[in-house]
Amino acid sequence: MNAIHPIVLHGLIYGGAIATVLLTLTAWGIWFERKFAGRMQSRLGPTLVGWVGLLQPLADAAKLLQKEDLIPDQADRTLYLASPPLTVFFTLATVAVIPVSVDVAVANLPIGVLWILALGGLMVFPVWTAGWASANKYALLGGMRAVAQGISYEIPMVLSALVPVIFAGSMDVNEIVTWQAEHHWLVLGPGLFAFVIFFVSSLAEANRIPFDIPEAESELVAGVTTEYSGMRFGLFYMAEYLHTLVASAVASALFLGGWNGLFGLADGIHWMLAKTLALFFMITWVRWSLVRFRSDQLMRLCWIYLVPMSLALVMVSALWVYYEPMLGGH
Amino acid sequence: MGYFIDAARSMARSMRTVLRKPTTIQYPAEKRDQGPRARLTFALVHDEHGEEACVGCLMCEKICPSRVITVTAGDKRPSEVTGKKRGFADDFVLDMNACIYCELCVQVCPTDAIVMTQDHMVPGFSREDLVLTMDKLYANETETTLSWGRASNLLEMQDPKRGTEEDRAATKQRAGAKPAEAEAAKPAAKPVKPAKAAKAEAPEAVVAEPAKVEAAEPAKTEAAQAEASEAKPEAK
Amino acid sequence: MTLASAARLGVDPHRDLTDYDPEADLMVLNMGPQHPSTHGVFRVKLYLDGETIVRAVPYVGYLHRGVEKLLEELTFVQATPIVDKNDYVSPMTNEQAINMAFEALLEVEVPRRARYMRTLFAEMSRISSHLLWLATFGVDMGGALGGGTTLFLHCFREREYILDLFELVTGARFHYNTHTIGGNRHDIPAGWAKRVHQALDLIASRVDEYLDLSTKNAIFVARTRGVGTLPAKLALELGITGPILRASGVDHDLRRDAPFHAYDEIDVKVQTEQAGDCLARAHVRIRELSESIRLSKLLVDGLPEGPICGGRPIKNPTQFKAKDGQAYVALETPRGELGTYVIGGGGNKGASPYRLKIRPPSLHALAAMPYLLVGGTISDAVVILGSLDPIMGEADR
Repeated sequence: MNAIHPIVLHGLIYGGAIATVLLTLTAWGIWFERKFAGRMQSRLGPTLVGWVGLLQPLADAAKLLQKEDLIPDQADRTLYLASPPLTVFFTLATVAVIPVSVDVAVANLPIGVLWILALGGLMVFPVWTAGWASANKYALLGGMRAVAQGISYEIPMVLSALVPVIFAGSMDVNEIVTWQAEHHWLVLGPGLFAFVIFFVSSLAEANRIPFDIPEAESELVAGVTTEYSGMRFGLFYMAEYLHTLVASAVASALFLGGWNGLFGLADGIHWMLAKTLALFFMITWVRWSLVRFRSDQLMRLCWIYLVPMSLALVMVSALWVYYEPMLGGH
Repeated sequence: MGYFIDAARSMARSMRTVLRKPTTIQYPAEKRDQGPRARLTFALVHDEHGEEACVGCLMCEKICPSRVITVTAGDKRPSEVTGKKRGFADDFVLDMNACIYCELCVQVCPTDAIVMTQDHMVPGFSREDLVLTMDKLYANETETTLSWGRASNLLEMQDPKRGTEEDRAATKQRAGAKPAEAEAAKPAAKPVKPAKAAKAEAPEAVVAEPAKVEAAEPAKTEAAQAEASEAKPEAK
Repeated sequence: MTLASAARLGVDPHRDLTDYDPEADLMVLNMGPQHPSTHGVFRVKLYLDGETIVRAVPYVGYLHRGVEKLLEELTFVQATPIVDKNDYVSPMTNEQAINMAFEALLEVEVPRRARYMRTLFAEMSRISSHLLWLATFGVDMGGALGGGTTLFLHCFREREYILDLFELVTGARFHYNTHTIGGNRHDIPAGWAKRVHQALDLIASRVDEYLDLSTKNAIFVARTRGVGTLPAKLALELGITGPILRASGVDHDLRRDAPFHAYDEIDVKVQTEQAGDCLARAHVRIRELSESIRLSKLLVDGLPEGPICGGRPIKNPTQFKAKDGQAYVALETPRGELGTYVIGGGGNKGASPYRLKIRPPSLHALAAMPYLLVGGTISDAVVILGSLDPIMGEADR
């Protein structure tokens, strides 16, 4: 134990704990989504496995584990096998810089926001390689669409994530949350539009309806994941929910004040959890109510509407921060 | 933009559905109200005498569009209850694997023998489980709720004269005949008395017969033969 | 449709491929018979340039079951349950079509009550069919896991009311065998009319909900407006009828123009649109749904008394015989004109038809696929196929 550097030890313990909590939340997030989706469709969700179906995620995992592991003959084996774990890996790695409680994070990087955005960009790769390596035209199309969508929506995401950075004056996520704790939550103010754009871009990055063209079941069978079976498919599935949760966590930290409590109540991890889950609820609600966009409409929305708007927002927030002290403060 | 407003509206609609009671009926814990005419599986029934109603006429086998019924007709033999000669079915097999639930077999049966039921067939694990043999069909008569549809009901419902003026007149006549029937019943009561009288006589006759019989038995003994021969002329 | 006639109409179903290296730049994608949203087993071979469809070749026949040949072996009275399964989404109209054809051939008269009942069942079947169409259209667009499914389940919830009503009358929820030669086999039980009114009022009130999730939704409109525009001339040349034709601006409806059964006694308001794209077809079908609700209420209130069957009830498979004769009967199903052509004098000493030909509206709708898909993307292909509402059971028989 003495041979391990304290930072590494800190990272291992905190990282392990946060990853465990996050993965558990993902599993039961799937349960929640199925129940909620059921209620939105005037039916019950899972009810048989455990009380109100709470053990359903375990049943799903068991089902996926016992399936035959098929690898297509003409698939590019390395890429095919590497893609599912990579999606999960990149998603989990994003959580490293998010403060789950006051000054509690796996790694308090001074360039935290850059880390998050960079990994967000990296997340497109395994999806694309899965599509390429599957030797299946549907998967290839899905992968191409995923790339187009992923790299396009990164731009509004980056630009809208810059707004908290400008206001807080730092890329360290913990600093941003602290700034919000001292002043006001960014969403209650000029950050509202930035929050909306960030939320929409996260939906697109996570391939969630209305932006789930890469996995559109009705068009592409299962899109990128067509040729995957068993637990490899389970990993993709889990990665999608994980990405949603992580995106919610990031949005809560950057815009909703993270671990900061409302009405003067105690700060802490419970607030972070509550906000993350609230955003997860919103994303689920959106998913089960809307139909999806076509690829070109998606691109149009991004480049013609969101990019100019987010550019404008960056300029406005920069001007605001500059002139605010001169106008007597807030 | 318009997208956001419409998205919000769709989401409000979904949320309103969340607040309503779900429409799921959790079968088999809860059952749906199917109505009395439901056609779900089959039963063979017994007639009013308690005997098998199926006479082995093979009409159902001939009409089935999917040819799922196989009937082995038995020999014509006298009924155990009425004594009249009638047909029987030695074996009756209905393969539910291929049945299309068209109700034509029920429609054509001349004796209302095959009926459908309001309860679902019990699911099985193999094809053989879904083949209804004669035992299963007769068991269904008591184990399931039978449907309303019988051949006679259906034929009555489909009668071209039903509900027409002709039919209404005939019905009125039948209704008008009710008091006439009551009067006819009264004169019928008179024959009842003679019938009762006949019945009253009959016991005497019945009594007389045992007397004859009783008289006949001791007649076996030589000692009573003389008394028997004396008793017989008296009874006459 | 020949290339000559296509050229005359100014529509090019097969874009000139000489600009492209044969198969070098184009990717051939099989939207194969097994696909989550080809509405049954239907195959379209797509030639793609990137994501744009350059050429589309449809293949039908995956659900061919030999119904017409089978009906040459079976007799007239056995035909109804088999034909039920053609257009398996609105079975009442199938049964009505074949029995009308047999009645024309055998010259059997249908009593008035039976005519009204058949019309009522047909209209209720139309409601159920359009609800199912809307449901699957939502799934095509929103995905099996997503908002489309919400619309799907809402529509199915309403459709259950209609199926329950049919179950009270006939005993079966979906394939009824309730029409017979000369009329119907099951009469309406007491208290049914009241339940019909309740169910239809409920559905009418819920139609607004569907609009929220569909035609009033900007994303839905963006997916369907301008997509798959079918010119009226092409539709008429291809023999397309029904809501698709009416959405392209042609005011033609057999219920009003060639009335059969009780349609000559009620007034059908025919819904048309001019645009001819998927959104127009959606509008036409949803308005037809509301119109059918209105008609069903009128019919159920105005049901005359009388017998329900004008011919002899079925007691014998060979009880109806036709030595010769022909009959063609066309009626308006939710998909268009369903035609049945029967020639008498077949086997079983005339108790079977010699030839039975069914003219399915879905097959003609599918003929428009090569024209409509060119120039769009795969997403559009799915939406167009959904808006044409093909039922493969009917197209392939």
